[in-house]
Amino acid sequence: MISRRDFVKAISGMVAAAGAVHPLLSWAAGDSPVVIPGEEGMIVRSARFFDLEMPPEFLDSWITPVPHFFVRNHMHEPSTLDPETWQLTVSGEVEKPLTLTFAELVRMEPHTVTNTLECAGNGRAFHHPHVPGVQWQKGAVGTARFSGPRLRDVLQRAGVKSTGKHVMFRGLDEVPGKVPPFIRSIPIEKASDEDTLIAMRMNGEALTKHHGFPARALVPGWIGAASCKWLSEIKVLDKEFDGNFMKPGYRMPNHPLKPGDPLNLDDSHAVTGLNVKSAIAAPEENWTSRSRSVQIHGAAWAGEADIVKVEISTDAGATWQAAQLGREHSKYAWRLWNYHWKAPKAGEYTILSRATDSQGRTQPETAEWNPSGYLYNAYDQVKIHVEA
Amino acid sequence: MWKRSALIASLSLITLCWLPRLRAQSPELPTGPLQAKVTTACTECHESRIIVQQRLSKGAWTKEVDKMIKWGAVVDPADREGFIEYLSVNFPPDKAPEQMPRVALAKKR
Repeated sequence: MISRRDFVKAISGMVAAAGAVHPLLSWAAGDSPVVIPGEEGMIVRSARFFDLEMPPEFLDSWITPVPHFFVRNHMHEPSTLDPETWQLTVSGEVEKPLTLTFAELVRMEPHTVTNTLECAGNGRAFHHPHVPGVQWQKGAVGTARFSGPRLRDVLQRAGVKSTGKHVMFRGLDEVPGKVPPFIRSIPIEKASDEDTLIAMRMNGEALTKHHGFPARALVPGWIGAASCKWLSEIKVLDKEFDGNFMKPGYRMPNHPLKPGDPLNLDDSHAVTGLNVKSAIAAPEENWTSRSRSVQIHGAAWAGEADIVKVEISTDAGATWQAAQLGREHSKYAWRLWNYHWKAPKAGEYTILSRATDSQGRTQPETAEWNPSGYLYNAYDQVKIHVEA
Repeated sequence: MWKRSALIASLSLITLCWLPRLRAQSPELPTGPLQAKVTTACTECHESRIIVQQRLSKGAWTKEVDKMIKWGAVVDPADREGFIEYLSVNFPPDKAPEQMPRVALAKKR
């Protein structure tokens, strides 16, 4: 536990140091890179709200380092977060409402889940017709080891009543204007799963602010929006939370739409688990190979399901060859894969990848269009030139 | 270990709070009669980079403008049509994608 004295002393030091850090944060002219402390190589989709995308070349690591892990915010990040005063309340359809401190949560038995977290809108930029929102391409996804108490242990302490059907999360995001607060809920069955966490650590370290310090929900295998950051309130409800980010936000049509058609909310469902998807880390788009020998590699994930196969095509989908899956494997985590290809001759090639999961789902040639661009998962592709 | 890492995390975020906002470095919206009004209304809540990456039809821009007005964007009703026109002319579906800046690599990988 950090003493108040230590905390104040340390803050004083940081305030003094702020002037020295200040020049690090600057947009340089033109295409020069930006320096943001704690972040490396990321694509800046927005600096306010803070949205950073991981470039595809970082899909080469089973565990994504925090400086490479995408950041998605709908609102402003909390301006102050003090673990000394931060509290998490548990209320609603429970026998005994709780207020937990940072120290109390730290003392609970931790559990670790290696989870691939993906924004529901990852790949939105590839939908046609175009849809509004952050124009994520391939990198609103990453895999990390999240640790913290199980949500079900906290719910057990509070005693969920038989009327409790959904669990609502609220964070400390600062809401601008009249924007509805970012509140969502998950069904009690998923909340009670042994792998659903109140995560306090990421890759062995305390969460950073961008990733939800001091605690976030971690709903493995589900869209990132389910894993509420800067968690401050858990409320057990008798039904799904009725708010903007449950409906009309984060809805998928019950039946496929024709591209451009509106969504009928009465014929839709909340987006929950991720679907099956693969992405190519290398070679990069428009790469020129001086050799006919080309190493193709990337990652594939499927939410709550396991990846069983990744295939590569170098002839526009006419034939497919199995890629080799990486050895590192864990429920909810992506599989790395690679394929060594010998180009038959020099020329222009389009390389495709597609994944199949343990539920029998195969990545489609064309993703299901929807007005918000959720769950894009068409074959990934890169165009390359082989010189030799 | 907890004590140290929690302290470091708290201090990192406090440090970031002291850093200047990135607003001033956001891309300037294209010139036009509504440039100033759109900039003022939209960037009150989010930076212009959110706008310049969109590629939408006039119908889709209409929905976005109306949603933002509902969410608190201050737009004179007399300017609503002008906002929609400005955004749909400058950020239409067939425009090339916007190039986004990259964060520097701290060290060579």
